[in-house]
Amino acid sequence: MNIKKYYLAARNTWDETLAYRLNFVMWRVRMVLTLLTMYFLWSALLLPGGNILGYTREFMLTYILGTSIINSLVISNRSYEVGEEINNGNLSNFLLRPINYFLYQFSRDLGDKAMNIVFSFVELTILFIILAPPIFIQTDSSLLALTFFSCLLALTMYFFLNFLLGLIGFWSPDVWAPRFVFITVLTFFSGGLFPLDILPKPIFSILEFFPFPYLLFFPLKIYLGQLVMAEIIKGIMISSTWIFVLWFIVKFAWARGLRLYTAYGR
Amino acid sequence: MKEFRKYIRVWWLLTIKSFQVAFTSRFGVALFVFGKLFRLGFFLLFLVIIEQRTKVIVGYSLWEIILFFATFNLIDVFSQFFLREVYKFRWYIVSGDFDFFLTRPLSPLFRSLFGGGDPLDIPILCLSIVLVAISVINIGNVSFANAILYLVLVANGLLIALAFHIFVLAVGVLTTEVDNTIWLYRDLTQMGRLPVDIYQQPLRALITFAVPVGIMITYPSKAILGLLSPQAVLISFIVGGVFLWASILFWRYSLKNYSSASS
Repeated sequence: MNIKKYYLAARNTWDETLAYRLNFVMWRVRMVLTLLTMYFLWSALLLPGGNILGYTREFMLTYILGTSIINSLVISNRSYEVGEEINNGNLSNFLLRPINYFLYQFSRDLGDKAMNIVFSFVELTILFIILAPPIFIQTDSSLLALTFFSCLLALTMYFFLNFLLGLIGFWSPDVWAPRFVFITVLTFFSGGLFPLDILPKPIFSILEFFPFPYLLFFPLKIYLGQLVMAEIIKGIMISSTWIFVLWFIVKFAWARGLRLYTAYGR
Repeated sequence: MKEFRKYIRVWWLLTIKSFQVAFTSRFGVALFVFGKLFRLGFFLLFLVIIEQRTKVIVGYSLWEIILFFATFNLIDVFSQFFLREVYKFRWYIVSGDFDFFLTRPLSPLFRSLFGGGDPLDIPILCLSIVLVAISVINIGNVSFANAILYLVLVANGLLIALAFHIFVLAVGVLTTEVDNTIWLYRDLTQMGRLPVDIYQQPLRALITFAVPVGIMITYPSKAILGLLSPQAVLISFIVGGVFLWASILFWRYSLKNYSSASS
C-alpha cells in the first residue's frame, strides 16, 4: 500500500482549509463561543465548593474544556462529503483511480482533525491564561494512556457512523436531513453539552449501549478517574463491538450501494 | 401602500414556491421537524434536570428559565422562518445570480432577505408560542402592561435579528463569506438561551450592548417578570434602532463595492 498518496490527501485538507482562511477563522470563533457558553453556564451553576452528582466545579470545568479537545480529535471530519460525492457523481473519479476510497476519506478526516487540534490547543491556552479556570490534571499515566486509546476507538467509530450516513446518498438524494437528525442526537447524547451521568439513571443505562456516549463522555470520564477498571473494560468492549458492527454495515451498504450507483449527475 | 402590497404578494408567491420545494421530499421534512423537536425537547429536559439539582439557576425559578428559553426560540425561529433566504445568499454571490436581484424592480435587500417562509420552522414556532404562554401562566402575577412591553421588546429583538442578517448579507457581498458568519450569529444568539446574567463581566456587557443578544432575547423576558428598569427599556429601543440603521448603511456600502466578479 502506497501510504504517500494518503498522506497527500490528508495534507490537501490543510491546503483547502487555508485557501478559505476567513471561513476557517469564523469556524474556530464559533467553536470558542460554544465552549465559552458552556463554560460560563457551568461556572454559574457550580460555585466554588458546589457539587452536582459527584462533579465538583473543578471536575465539571475540566470536563467542559476537555470536550473541546476531544471534539477536535473525534468529531471534526471531512467524510460528510461522501453523500454529496455520490449524489453529484464525483464518486466515479475515485472508483476509477488506484485509491481506496475508505482510506482516502479517513486520511482527509485525519488531516482535518490535525488542523483542528492544533488550533484547539492554541485557543485553550489563551483561554487558560485569561480565565485561569480551576482544572483537574490527571497524573496517572495508565489512565492517560486509556483516555488516548478510547479516543482512538471513538474517532474510528465516528468515521464509520459518518461514512454510513453518507452512503444514504446511494438510495436518496436527501442526505442532509438524516445528517441533521444525527448531529442533533449526537450533540446531546455524546456528552458534549453536559456529562451524561447527570441524566436520570434509566435514560443513562439505555444510552450506555449506544455508540454516542463513547465518543466524548467515556474518554473524559476515564481522564477524570471516575471509572473503575471494570467499567473502563466494559466501555472499551462496547466501543470495539460497535466498531466491528458498523464496519460490517458500512461494507455491506457500500457493496449494495455500488450496485445501484449510476453516476447520476455526471 | 400599493408598493407594500406588491412586496407582500412577492413574498407570498416565494413562500408558496418554498413550501412546494420543501415538500418534494416529505421524508426529509419529517426528519428535519423531528430533529428540531428533539433538540427543543432535550434542552428542556436538560433545564429541568439542572433545576432539580440546583433548585435555582442564577436566581431564577424553573418556569422563569423556561420563559427565557421559549423567548429565545420564539425570536430565533420567527427570524429563521422569514429570513431563511440569507442561508442561500453565498450561492447567489458566487454564481453571479445576485446580479439578477439588482436588475429587477424590487429592492435587492428585500429579495436577499425574504425568499419565502420556511415551512420546517412552523411547528417549532407554534410550540415556542405555547411554551411562552404556559410558562407565563405558571409564573403568574404578570401585569398587562408588562405583557405588552414583552411583545414590544420581542418586536425590537426581531428588528435586531433583521439587522444581524443584513450585516451578514453585506459581509457576503464584500467577501463572499456567508455560511460561517450566519452560523456565528446563530452561536451568539445561542448564548441567549439562558439569561445573560449567567455570564461574567465583561462578556455580559459585551453580549448585552455591543452584540446585543441580551437586549434581543433576555430583555423581553425580564420585562414580563418586571425586572427591567425604564432606562433599560429605553436603551433597548435605542440600541435596536442604531443597530438596524448601521446595518442598512453597511449594506449600502457593500453594494457600492460589489464587483460582480462571479457573473
